[in-house]
Amino acid sequence: MSRPGLARQSLAILGKDLALEWRNRARVVAVVLFGVLVLLLFSLAFGDKGTQVLQVTAGGCLVIALFLSSTLSLQESFRTEDHDDALEGLLLLPTEPASIFYGKALANTFFLVALAPVLIPVTTLIYQVSLGPTQVLQIAGLWLAAAAGLAAPGTLYAGLTTRLKSQDVLMPLLLFPLEVPVLLATVKAFGLVFDGDPMGQLSSWTQLIVAFDVIYWCLCGVLFRFVVEEAA
Amino acid sequence: MKKMHAFGLVGLALIIVGSIYGLTASPPERHMGDVSRILYVHVPTAWNCLLIYLFAFGFAIASLWTGKQRWDIATTAAIETGVVLNILLLGTGMIFAKPTWGIWWDWDVRLTTSLIALIFYAAILALRTFIDDPNRRATLTAVTCIISFVDVPLIYFGVRWWRSLHQIQSSPETMAETMVFPMRVNAFAVLFISIWFMLLRARIERSKLESDEVVEPPVRRAMATA
Amino acid sequence: MSSTPLVCAGLGRRFGTKWALAHIDLSVAPASVTLLAGANGSGKTTLLRIVAGLVRPTLGQVLVFGQDPRIATSYCRQRSSLVSHRGFLYPGLTALETLRLWSSLLTPDNGDNELLELLGSVGLGDEAHSDTSRFSAGMRKRLTLLRVRLENPDLVLLDEPFAALDPAGQVLIESWVGELKARGTTIIMASHAIERAKALCDSAVLLEQGQIAWMGEAAKMPTPGTDLEAQ
Repeated sequence: MSRPGLARQSLAILGKDLALEWRNRARVVAVVLFGVLVLLLFSLAFGDKGTQVLQVTAGGCLVIALFLSSTLSLQESFRTEDHDDALEGLLLLPTEPASIFYGKALANTFFLVALAPVLIPVTTLIYQVSLGPTQVLQIAGLWLAAAAGLAAPGTLYAGLTTRLKSQDVLMPLLLFPLEVPVLLATVKAFGLVFDGDPMGQLSSWTQLIVAFDVIYWCLCGVLFRFVVEEAA
Repeated sequence: MKKMHAFGLVGLALIIVGSIYGLTASPPERHMGDVSRILYVHVPTAWNCLLIYLFAFGFAIASLWTGKQRWDIATTAAIETGVVLNILLLGTGMIFAKPTWGIWWDWDVRLTTSLIALIFYAAILALRTFIDDPNRRATLTAVTCIISFVDVPLIYFGVRWWRSLHQIQSSPETMAETMVFPMRVNAFAVLFISIWFMLLRARIERSKLESDEVVEPPVRRAMATA
Repeated sequence: MSSTPLVCAGLGRRFGTKWALAHIDLSVAPASVTLLAGANGSGKTTLLRIVAGLVRPTLGQVLVFGQDPRIATSYCRQRSSLVSHRGFLYPGLTALETLRLWSSLLTPDNGDNELLELLGSVGLGDEAHSDTSRFSAGMRKRLTLLRVRLENPDLVLLDEPFAALDPAGQVLIESWVGELKARGTTIIMASHAIERAKALCDSAVLLEQGQIAWMGEAAKMPTPGTDLEAQ
């Protein structure tokens, strides 16, 4: 008997994760508030240095807020899988591990993108940065690319560390060094958008983030089965 | 004498030759003077660090593909050796930076990506300590090693992609002939010593596994069948 | 492809220094019902999980319909189904949503009407829109049985199917096993409820400390703990 294809299975997993997160939306609100808190703390740390310092650091602080919020979101995505061995149940149907990966990674991308409508306006407010409509679109596009870049390896590493002791430490320890290209490129790109990109460098940084996304969405999809299958 | 020690002996001999030549026979660099001589250690270490991480990548793929323990042993030995070389390259890089540019650390892209590589390979070694089952440990080590190595090419191409204070990437064509010789000799020296370290480390791991070997229990009793 | 549902040859599995299974040589005939009996820790669950391809054997070989479940994973899992004491459920999803998820990952994809009928057939019709995290152990087991119905496998692996079920639930399991048997499905059942399970099974295997201590017709199976050499 044949099984549904990769896309259909991934969409089924995506739907499941979105439904579960909607039921648990109080937690989503808490993660958003956490992101706002990080922005606030950074602004307090740098605020006494003057408005210019705040504006210059706005992009970096926004990206760090995204990164730190992402660990809470990513780790949670596998807690429901472990609760009643639900992930094992999916594998036994059988469901292709790659489908589980792409479904969950898409859901995680969605959750990280959902942080943007709150964190970006808060940044413009606290860090005294103004954005025109074009800049908002540019930031939104960069945010999507950065979220995808976090979600792919993040989903794999969340699955990898989910049953290990000290998961809350191991996951960021493994993920954040790997994400440095996304961090650097996104911070640079955000800064260029805030400054109006006088030298036209935005596309090179964007290409770097997109290249990272393409590489890791493919690679992690292939490797995910080794992470979730103990007997693989 | 075990064959593996030949690598160590050759490596030590080469490093003595390369270092003596580098310290005495080759001339000081036109702009940096005698400070540049540390490059005869720093650059070969950097090349070999990258090469050892490439070995680890290959061993990791073999480990996932075959599931055989010897490839996990090889992967771990390569990662550990790579981490040691990584620490040395950062140290020698900082020693070079201070008299040359006046600062120990300048967030130069190549040094920064070397530091990042050190952190994520050290994290892989930390991850291993949290996993009891040897097969699971081998699988997850291989997965993280493969994912991490994809970041390593940034070290090699960093100078071309970003403006950098770092020395323009050294290659024999940009150096005087008298500088090429000690650089090459030391490159091979570090390679041989690294291989020796990896083989020693693998031998230690294998003998630990042999002493932990648990034999299958005897058949309990003749099975009664109805 | 072989039609023999299960063949184990010299199978062994070690966790740390302890051998959970050793010297397992076993062959299960098609359309048979086999009881796997033994005390806690005798290796029953480990054996079922190896057959399901979830655990790698340390030694020996296991073939499910002629294929190694670690290599031909998809094939073996399509033809078999594991019912464990875990429900494989997502807290937060309703019973209907859970079935919908499983159904969408299988073919054919059943519509809501068929899924509601299925829920009704196991006495969960009124709970279709209830969160499964609030289900009792018996209700969770019934939901898991529906999973097997959706999968429609040739080999069913049951790990303690009677556990946590009230008498009505146990009767349900018995009739369900009977239905599967009538359809020619091969069943391997690990159970402590020896007397109840024996009545359903053709053959039995008794495990003691990870090894086969006895194998034969289910009706003639000795009580676990009996000195087998005295027989």
